Amino acid sequence: MTKKIFKSTVLVSASVLILGIAFVLGILYQYFGKQLDTELAREASYLAYGVEQQGEEYLQQLKDTDSRITYIGEDGTVIYDNEADAAEMENHKDREEFQEALATGAGEAQRMSSTLSEKTVYYAKRLSDNSVLRVSSTQYSAFALVLQLIQPVLCIIFVMLILAGVFASKIAGKIVEPINELDLEKPDENEIYEEVAPLLGKINRQNRQIRTQLEEARRNQEEFSIITENMQEGLLVIDSYTMILSGNSSAWKIFQVDKPGTGRSVYSLDRNEDFRKVIETVLEGKHGSALLHLDNEFVQLIANPVNRDGKTVGAVLLLMNETEKVQRENLRREFSANVSHELKTPLTSISGFAEIIQDGFVKEEDVKKFAGRIYKEAQRLIQLVEDTIRISQLDEGENPYEWENIDLYTVAKDVCGNLNEAAKKKNVHLYIEGERLICRTVRPILEEILYNLCDNGIKYNKDNGIVSILIKDLGNEVQLSVEDNGIGIPREDRKRVFERFYRVDKSHSKEIGGTGLGLSIVKHGVTFLGGTLNLVSEVDKGTEITVTLPKNKSEK
Amino acid sequence: MTTRFERQLEELHVQIITMGSLCEKVIAFSAKAIQGVNCSKEIFDTDREIDAKEREIENICMRLLLHQQPVARDLREISAALKMISDMERIGDQAADIADLARFIDRNSVEIPKEIEKMADQTVRMVTESIDSFVKADLDLCRKVINDDDMVDESFEQVKTELTEMIYHRSIDAKMALDLLMTAKYMERIGDHAVNIAEWVEYSITGIHRNNEHQNRTGGIIN
Repeated sequence: MTKKIFKSTVLVSASVLILGIAFVLGILYQYFGKQLDTELAREASYLAYGVEQQGEEYLQQLKDTDSRITYIGEDGTVIYDNEADAAEMENHKDREEFQEALATGAGEAQRMSSTLSEKTVYYAKRLSDNSVLRVSSTQYSAFALVLQLIQPVLCIIFVMLILAGVFASKIAGKIVEPINELDLEKPDENEIYEEVAPLLGKINRQNRQIRTQLEEARRNQEEFSIITENMQEGLLVIDSYTMILSGNSSAWKIFQVDKPGTGRSVYSLDRNEDFRKVIETVLEGKHGSALLHLDNEFVQLIANPVNRDGKTVGAVLLLMNETEKVQRENLRREFSANVSHELKTPLTSISGFAEIIQDGFVKEEDVKKFAGRIYKEAQRLIQLVEDTIRISQLDEGENPYEWENIDLYTVAKDVCGNLNEAAKKKNVHLYIEGERLICRTVRPILEEILYNLCDNGIKYNKDNGIVSILIKDLGNEVQLSVEDNGIGIPREDRKRVFERFYRVDKSHSKEIGGTGLGLSIVKHGVTFLGGTLNLVSEVDKGTEITVTLPKNKSEK
Repeated sequence: MTTRFERQLEELHVQIITMGSLCEKVIAFSAKAIQGVNCSKEIFDTDREIDAKEREIENICMRLLLHQQPVARDLREISAALKMISDMERIGDQAADIADLARFIDRNSVEIPKEIEKMADQTVRMVTESIDSFVKADLDLCRKVINDDDMVDESFEQVKTELTEMIYHRSIDAKMALDLLMTAKYMERIGDHAVNIAEWVEYSITGIHRNNEHQNRTGGIIN
């Protein structure tokens, strides 16, 4: 802009300068031409007066005159000339100024020299005797005049142009300066040429538009990140070259990377074959899913292609941690396998005994013995089914009994009474430590818990062993612990003993009896009563299982 | 905006990860084969896949070198990649060799030294870690793999001693003892290859390769 202003200013001043000079020269030339004409006329008048008075002699005595004076007779012969020999000069009869003078009394003419550099102006005056006096003067032509003046004129033009340039650049700078200093952030607050105001208004409108758009984009981004960051599931977006475009923190957590893997290949998170297969399928434009096994965790991967214009340009991967679900499924599978096995064993015996009796292979006196066995197995079966139902009930949170205030000591005493027989058989001593303690709970469930714990303590004990029940008041809670000095539970089994049908000693479990559901019932019962369980055990030293129950649990 | 070159470099990266994953798979299978699981078919198939992958990666590297004329770190990464894939290919071959031998090991007639299974676990872990170190550009993990090799070497020595003892007491068929020894040796070689991979990863990160460093040092002594 500065350049443009500068250029135009210089151009304008230069053209004005040149035109001005040309006009001035032209006017001056005209003016001087006219001046010369009048002078010539006046000179001619003087001379004519002199010639009228004194005749040709007058002309001869004239010495210092710039003009050329010619005295021509009526017939055109030159009578006198002060610059050339009159006798040798040709007849002037057909000269323009001569004829004009003869006709009108005065004549004028101009003739250019052959080089055009000079112009001769003639002025002729008719005298009273019809002879003509001609005065002529030579002057430079306009062209020659310009040529002669060219040097100073050029000098002046040059100097003027430099001056014009200097001023033009200053002026251009001055004009542009406020435009350069515009504050485009706040276009409204600028005080500047009114021609710029519409532009500023437009900028202002655009600024506002950009701001709202940015704000909207930011809000969208924020919403998106709030949604993805608060997701439990991992979310990854990849492009068709397997590059990760974005992902949420859950995804990084699932793949156990500390920093976001954005910008790297998704294979750097997991290069497992199943994973690669899913990625390949999804980038071919098909839906894919797989259950990934990442360091003891099961992760369900769901992959969906992102299509644009019929082409797969990327994929969205959703990762869900399904460890618990898979583990639960495993447990359930194990449970049904166990349950069928446990149910089948007594049934096989029953069916076997019954078959033998039916076929008549049994002596009359032995039938009673066999019937006893069948009865025993059937009892076992009933026990098993009852236990299973009990667990299911506890599992579902069903409670056929009422919550009431119960003295724990009495419960413990009753349980010991029931188990006395069994304890005597194994030569194990039962003790109760503690005193009366009232607690709001469900009696049958509590009895069941204590019974099972003590039963285990007796069953898995040594000869002359001890099982003791400790009742302790912890203020808001009560603590019941059953301690024995029996065979203990190996470390690797401690976590699993509360699972249904889980048995530490798989081979001998038949001898000891029991359904394998005892501790499972305890666990479910304690959970139902809102308490916690703790197991401390050492192999060959004994086991202590502590149940902590709240004194006043709010009933469901 | 990623350039074409970066895109190609990343593709190389992805292909190496894939090849590494195949290596992990093949040696996990070979460890199973030693334990008596019949999976030789999978091993041979994977080995072939590894060979094909090696060709493919070689092509990518050559294309990159010829078309893009990389310099500095990029060049280092590509040359390291070229070296790494030959080590990976060797791992595949050796896993196949182990699968071959495993067919002749009769698990019923002899008790296989526990140490061999331990070696198998160690080498599987080393290969996994060496590839992990490449994926994560993790220098510490590289050095761990390089140091872990001593453990595998030690285990090999122990297997050797055990087998000698067994042959001496005639409690093992000599032929089978040799097969077991070979298996252990292959395991030990796989460990070495894992170390090589780790060294090249280290080179591509730091620009210094251990062997060169070592040579320079000995050179210094001579001078």
